[in-house]
Amino acid sequence: MGEGLGMSRNRLLRQLAGLGAVALLALSGCSRGTEEAPMQLQLLNAARGSAGQIARKARGTAAPARPPLTRAALDTVPVPVLEVTVERRGDWAFLFRTLERTDSSPGRIEQWNTEDSNVTLSLRNGVLIATRGLGGDLLSSAVQVEDGRPGPASGGEQLQMIRNLDYRETALTLSCELVDLGPETIEIVEHRHATRHLQQRCEGGGGRVVNDYWSDPRAGVIWKSRQWAGPHLGYLSLRRLVK
Amino acid sequence: MSQSIRPCHRSGSGAALLRAAAVAVILTGSVATQGLGQDVGQNLGQGGALPPDIGSEEPSFTPLPAASLNFYGSPGGIDMPSAEMLPDGTFATTLSGFGGQNRITLTFQATPWMSGSFRYHQMQNLNLFGFKTYYDRSFDVRFRLWREGRYRPQVALGLQDFSGTGLFGAEYLVASKNFRTPAWGGLARDGGRLMVSGGIGWGRLGSYNSIGSLGNRPAYSPTTSRGGEPSYDQWFRGPYALFGGLEWRPNDKLGLKLEYSSDDYVTETQTASSFNRRSPFNFGVEYQWKPATRLGAYYLYGSEIGLTAQIQLNPRQPSKRLAVAAPYPVQPREQWAGPPESWDTTWVDSDETLQGLRAQLAKSLERDGLVLETLELGAETAEMRYRNPRYTAQAAALGRAARALAATMPASVETFRLVLVSDGMALSTVILRRSDLEALEFDPRSSAALLAVAGFADAAAKPGPTAMPGPGLYPDFSWSVSQYFSPSYFDPSLPFRLDLGVDLRATYRPAPGWRISGQLRQRVWGNIKDGRLSNSVLAHVRTDATLYAQQGTTLENLYVSRQWRPGRNLYARLSAGYFESMYGGLSGEILWKPVGSRLGLGLEGNYVIKRDYDQRFGFQDYNVLTGHASAYLDLGKGYEAQIDVGRYLAGDVGATFSIDRTFANGWSFGGFFSQTNVSAADFGEGSFDKGLRFRIPLTSLLGKPSRAGMGLMIRPVQRDGGQRVYVPGRLYNQVREAHRNGLEAEWARVWE
Repeated sequence: MGEGLGMSRNRLLRQLAGLGAVALLALSGCSRGTEEAPMQLQLLNAARGSAGQIARKARGTAAPARPPLTRAALDTVPVPVLEVTVERRGDWAFLFRTLERTDSSPGRIEQWNTEDSNVTLSLRNGVLIATRGLGGDLLSSAVQVEDGRPGPASGGEQLQMIRNLDYRETALTLSCELVDLGPETIEIVEHRHATRHLQQRCEGGGGRVVNDYWSDPRAGVIWKSRQWAGPHLGYLSLRRLVK
Repeated sequence: MSQSIRPCHRSGSGAALLRAAAVAVILTGSVATQGLGQDVGQNLGQGGALPPDIGSEEPSFTPLPAASLNFYGSPGGIDMPSAEMLPDGTFATTLSGFGGQNRITLTFQATPWMSGSFRYHQMQNLNLFGFKTYYDRSFDVRFRLWREGRYRPQVALGLQDFSGTGLFGAEYLVASKNFRTPAWGGLARDGGRLMVSGGIGWGRLGSYNSIGSLGNRPAYSPTTSRGGEPSYDQWFRGPYALFGGLEWRPNDKLGLKLEYSSDDYVTETQTASSFNRRSPFNFGVEYQWKPATRLGAYYLYGSEIGLTAQIQLNPRQPSKRLAVAAPYPVQPREQWAGPPESWDTTWVDSDETLQGLRAQLAKSLERDGLVLETLELGAETAEMRYRNPRYTAQAAALGRAARALAATMPASVETFRLVLVSDGMALSTVILRRSDLEALEFDPRSSAALLAVAGFADAAAKPGPTAMPGPGLYPDFSWSVSQYFSPSYFDPSLPFRLDLGVDLRATYRPAPGWRISGQLRQRVWGNIKDGRLSNSVLAHVRTDATLYAQQGTTLENLYVSRQWRPGRNLYARLSAGYFESMYGGLSGEILWKPVGSRLGLGLEGNYVIKRDYDQRFGFQDYNVLTGHASAYLDLGKGYEAQIDVGRYLAGDVGATFSIDRTFANGWSFGGFFSQTNVSAADFGEGSFDKGLRFRIPLTSLLGKPSRAGMGLMIRPVQRDGGQRVYVPGRLYNQVREAHRNGLEAEWARVWE
């Protein structure tokens, strides 16, 4: 009887040691080499990552607050800067231009990257045509622009190819009318810009979308816009901080 | 558990054929004819638009709340079914319990008009067939006969427990019609909705207040059958009765249910006394707790409180959204190299330049998680062989590989030949013109436009003589330490058992195509070792799992394999060693699969010996020659059929039929069954081998790119007939996704 008890205690101790080993492993599982890490390990690493996030949240050190912007600080930046805010998530970033080009469609294409290159936005004459790195991205678009004229040039059909969560793309066609709301002076970080406010009112896919552009045709620039990037991303707010 | 009441004389060969045909029709025939036609919910934004989300006017791709599920895990009221279908592709898990009846059901909406369910049922205090707590497994299948119209209700036909003990056997025809109502008590994206259902049922569903009878329904007798076969002699026989229900969903969260049940619960309330059935009326209230989870509380049969949790996973709406770092842009060559006339080609003669290009390309690929195997350069052509250990979608890897070439190659290189390689074996060549990449990146329909100009071809067996190998690739050594969980199901004394512990894996690749790999396992805790011992009359080729679980430290596998391309459209593999915990030996496989073909044909031969129970290096006195001829057919839209004919581990001869549905994002679900020359009596419980399998890709859980997935294969009963050896590195799955159909399925990701 005593022996039996001793044995079961031994077993218990061994099991406890085993559980300890698993806990230790949870902190130390790892892989090296070109082979893809085993599924269990990938899952574990993800759990570790989110545990870290939760811990940071608990310590109240979540996302860094948006730094106060001053023109004096912006004047020291030698390259164009675009500020983008994903309204639905409240995420924002400063983007830098990495590509300027044309293709067989009208308008000039610009691609803007975040500093770490993880997110890019592509604009045609200032009209959003693609996003990358946000998840549920806008893969490609057909927009109504004309050479040498920033912003949408006319109403009509806009096509958006949306990358769905099942990795397939869905075409979303929006019928838009373009309304010129007249001159408007806007201020972006202490700089005032004389613009025309263009509004694109679109219907399609069972809903309605309103895109706004504050365009400066003389400077050839859209200073500010609020554009819809598809059902998964919603509206993006763009501000040109440095021309 | 015994599953059916087949009289013995029915298990002749004619009946076996009929049986196979019936299951085959259920599994495949219908899929091939109708399932490929429509894809409900996929024409978003093109007519079949969804209403905007609450508080928004924007177009939305978020589906409306799905049908709610009943206690059997099927769309319906409380204990009765309705005619609704789940969104195409949905995986639903339903937990339900009342009056000592606990059920867990997995339901898969295989096509828009057909779903299948597998259920595990626990009845407490039933004292049935000598078990105090009785466990039962059963399968259901449901078909939508026609869709709801403006005035016409939707009608569905269902077979419940169609091949099991018949304990839950029921057949029904049910009609449901939806009516709009004002919203109440909360936000409703599409207004309130009242659904009225009514139907006629046989079997269980004809047991209370029957209004007539059709022929004779054979009585339930657990002694004459091992179950598992379609019990068509019972279908739509015996007394029939009417049932009906109402479901009001006044808003997106809440549901109120009322129904009239035609199930008399004869066995539970009369043979045993699990609960008292005092009334045919059931009442319930349900709440959508999370987007995928609905909870319900009910008052059933005038005496019992019941609860459900309904979890519906839709492969098209994974909980985490995959976000991958943006790719490099393709910069047109005119911008940095001047007009084409000035493009120089003399760099081809400089070995130093070539080495530099290779190093640059390897670095560029590395940023995207890809591995350069070889690079072969001409003045106008580059052939790159690469590995993709990161992306589920091979098209995503392909697009990034092409961008890396465009970013690094001299301007005169116009043709890119991208060869995907898996363990040293070239799978396919995709040919892209660099000027197309430059011209189409910002095209309105950029992915379709690129597909139209992409070429697909068989890859040469080996890279050319001037190909430069990727820097520092071979010999290559990888290892990992990770935890493991190994579940075991359906032991009647403890339905869920688990082992967990640590795996150490190591892989050494001395040269392309060669692989020496091993896996050492240390169990930390587990109770599989306390499971049932085998009662099989066949050789114990799979039923000794309990004996194999006795040791804590085991060698899971240790093998050497080589795979290569013996010729055009041909793929080959040879392996030797310890393949899995139970078998080791020799294995050879050859596969014919042209890049553009929907059909693949394979041959596999294995000589295997049963390993010692301690899973070290020893073998037991059982060896067998086993092998199969296989045909793989891509039916389109993600459906894939496979037939394997050959000899199985117990020496039995026959065929396995399987069908799988794979979504572009890697979710898959499938089923299989085998018919061999083992009689139902010799096979034992379940009569023949069958099972379900599914796989959920890690990307959907993590939101990060990964090729791994969580797979699960469920056999209602593990026996020894129709069993195959698990050999690592089978060819077809490596090859399929790199071929034209596989790449096209995920092509939307090529520019991502």
